Amino acid sequence: MRSVNTVLGPVPAHELGVVAVHEALLSVLPGAEHAFDISLDRAEIFETLAAKLRDFREHGGGTVVDSTGMFHGRDVPLLEALSRTSGVHIVASTGMGPEELLGGYFLTPQTNPPTPWPAEKFADLFTREITEGMVVPRVERRGAAGLVVTTATAGGMTATDESLFRGAARAARNTGVPVSIRYGADAVRELDVVLSEHVPANRVVVGGLDRRDAPAVEIARRGAYVALDHVGTEDDTHLGDKERAALVHELLDAGHGDRILLSAGAIGEAVGQPGNDVPFSRVLSTFVPLLDLSEKDVRRILVDNPRDLLTRHGK
Amino acid sequence: MSKVNTVLGTIPAEELGFVAVHEHIGYGMPGSELDTQWWKTPEQRYEETVPKLRRFHEYGGGTLVDVTGICNGRDVDYYKSLSAKTGVHIVACTGFVGGDTALPFFARASVEYLTRHFVHEITVGIGGTGSRAGVIKVGVSRGGRMTELDKRIYRAAARAALATGVPILTHLAIDAENAIAIFNEERLPLDRVLFGHADDGVNAEKTRDTWIARQGGRVGFDTFGYETELEDPPFWARPRKQRLAHFLRFIGDHLDKALASADANCSPLGWPGVKGHTVNYLFEDLIPDLRESGVDEATITTLFVDNPADFLTIRN
Repeated sequence: MRSVNTVLGPVPAHELGVVAVHEALLSVLPGAEHAFDISLDRAEIFETLAAKLRDFREHGGGTVVDSTGMFHGRDVPLLEALSRTSGVHIVASTGMGPEELLGGYFLTPQTNPPTPWPAEKFADLFTREITEGMVVPRVERRGAAGLVVTTATAGGMTATDESLFRGAARAARNTGVPVSIRYGADAVRELDVVLSEHVPANRVVVGGLDRRDAPAVEIARRGAYVALDHVGTEDDTHLGDKERAALVHELLDAGHGDRILLSAGAIGEAVGQPGNDVPFSRVLSTFVPLLDLSEKDVRRILVDNPRDLLTRHGK
Repeated sequence: MSKVNTVLGTIPAEELGFVAVHEHIGYGMPGSELDTQWWKTPEQRYEETVPKLRRFHEYGGGTLVDVTGICNGRDVDYYKSLSAKTGVHIVACTGFVGGDTALPFFARASVEYLTRHFVHEITVGIGGTGSRAGVIKVGVSRGGRMTELDKRIYRAAARAALATGVPILTHLAIDAENAIAIFNEERLPLDRVLFGHADDGVNAEKTRDTWIARQGGRVGFDTFGYETELEDPPFWARPRKQRLAHFLRFIGDHLDKALASADANCSPLGWPGVKGHTVNYLFEDLIPDLRESGVDEATITTLFVDNPADFLTIRN
C-alpha cells in the first residue's frame, strides 16, 4: 500500500486530499514550558487548534503537516485527539534545528571534550522516531513520524546544522519518508548537503523559498520540491501574495509544476514566541483564487504534489 | 526567624541537621529526555533512589540540596514524594547549571526577565508545585570561561538573591574573577555564594579556592567520591588522597568558608552515572577519612551542620 504515516497510523496516500505541508500546530520555544509566566492549558490549546483545523476542513483541507519536529512543543497524544476530533489527517515530524534550538545534550555532552553530536547519531535518533515511534519524553513511543525536518541557521549553516542535515537525510534514506529543510543563507548549497547523502531530490522539500532572495527555480531544477510556505505573509523578508503568485506561474511555465508546494506557515498556537494570525486555510481561501489556475493545476499543487512527497517509499 | 525553603514547605534552619549541600536526585542535559537509551520506568527510579535516601537518613542525614537546574530534569513533584516518604528534607533550586543548559527561551531572556523568573520560583513557587526554591544555581559553561549568557544568569541570580535572601551555588569556581566582579557590582555579599566544584580533577588546579575564601566567598569541595580509583571513573575524577589532602589544607585556614558534598545522582536521567557513587560517600568514606586524618567532631559538625545552616538560611 502506498501510505503516509499520520498520528493515527498509516493512511492510504490517495486519502490525504488537500495538504498544508509546512504548518505548526502547537509550537513551543524550547524552555518556555518552564517559564513562570506561561501556563499551558491543554483544554484551551485543544479548543484553539480544533477550531483552526475545522476551519481548514470547511475550506476543503484534508491534511496538515506539523513540521515543528521533535523538540518544539510536539505533543503526540494531543495531535491524535485533534485529528480524531477534526477529521483532518495530521502528519507529525521528527527532526530538530537549527543549532540554536537544540538542547545542551546534543551540543555540550558530558564528555571531555564536549563534542557536538555527529550526523550518524542524529540519523539514528530520527530514524527510530519513524521505525519505532515518536517519543513522549521519558514516557513512551507513539505513532510514527511522517517526515524529517530540519532548519539551517539564518546567517548560514553551522557545523552542527550540517550534522543535522546529514542526519535528517540519512533518516529519510533509511526509512523512505521525505526530508524537509528550511534553508538558512544558501538554499542550493544546503540542498546539496542533503543530496550528497544519496537521497533522491524528489524526496526533499526546501522551505522558505518565497523569501525575496530565494533561488526557487534553481531548487526545482535540481528536482527538489519548492515550498512557498508563507502564503498570506508579506514583510521585509517575504514576497507578497501577488509576487508569490507570479512565482508559481514562473515555476509552472518553466515546467516545474510537479515540484510546487504551497503552505501558509501558520502557527496554530505559539508559546514563548510571537505567533501569527494566519489560518491553515489561507492557501485555499485567499491564494488559490488569486492564482487563476486551471482545476488540474490547482489539484496538482495542493493534492498530487504533497501526496507524492509524503508517500513513504520502499522498505 | 531562621528559615529555609524545602520542597515540602518552609522549615527552621535548626531542623536541617546534616546537610549534603550539592546533590542531584537525577540530572540530565536538556534534550536527553528525547534519547530512549536513558529512560527508566517510575518503578526503577524509585527503586534506585529511595534506598539511598533512606540510608542517608539512617546515617543521620537531614537535608539534601538538589541543584538540578531548570532544564536538567528538575522534577519537584517527584522530590516532594521522596521527601515525604523518606523523611529527608529536600531543598530544590531555581537557576541553571550553566548557560549551556539553559534552553533557548531562557538563553534569549534579559537579566530582568531571568531575575523575575528566579524570584517567582523562590517566593511563589516552581511551576504548579507550590514548592519554593531554596537556592539559586548558576555555573560556567563548558570551555572554561564564562560566556555572555553565563554572566547574564549570574547577574540575575545576584539580584534574585538580594531580593529574596536565598543563597547562590555555582557549578565550577573557575573564572571566579568574572563571577566576583558581577556579584560585587550587584552588591551581593560573597558569603551568600558557594563557589562549587573547587575540588574536581579537571578544575582544581585552575580554581583559586583560597583567593575566593579571602574575598569572603564560600568554597565547595563537593565532588567527593568521583575518584580515579573507581572502576569506571568519569573525566572529572581525581585521586582520592589528593582531594582529601587539598580539603584538609583548605579547612586548616578557611573552615568557616568550607562546605562538602558528593554531587552524586540518586538515579541519573541523561547519562549512565557513576557506578557505586552515592551521597552516602559522605558517611561511608569521607567522614571516616576525616577522622582518620585527625579532624575532630566539632569540625565535622561545622562542615556539615553549622556552615550549611548559615549558608541556607534565608537572609532578610
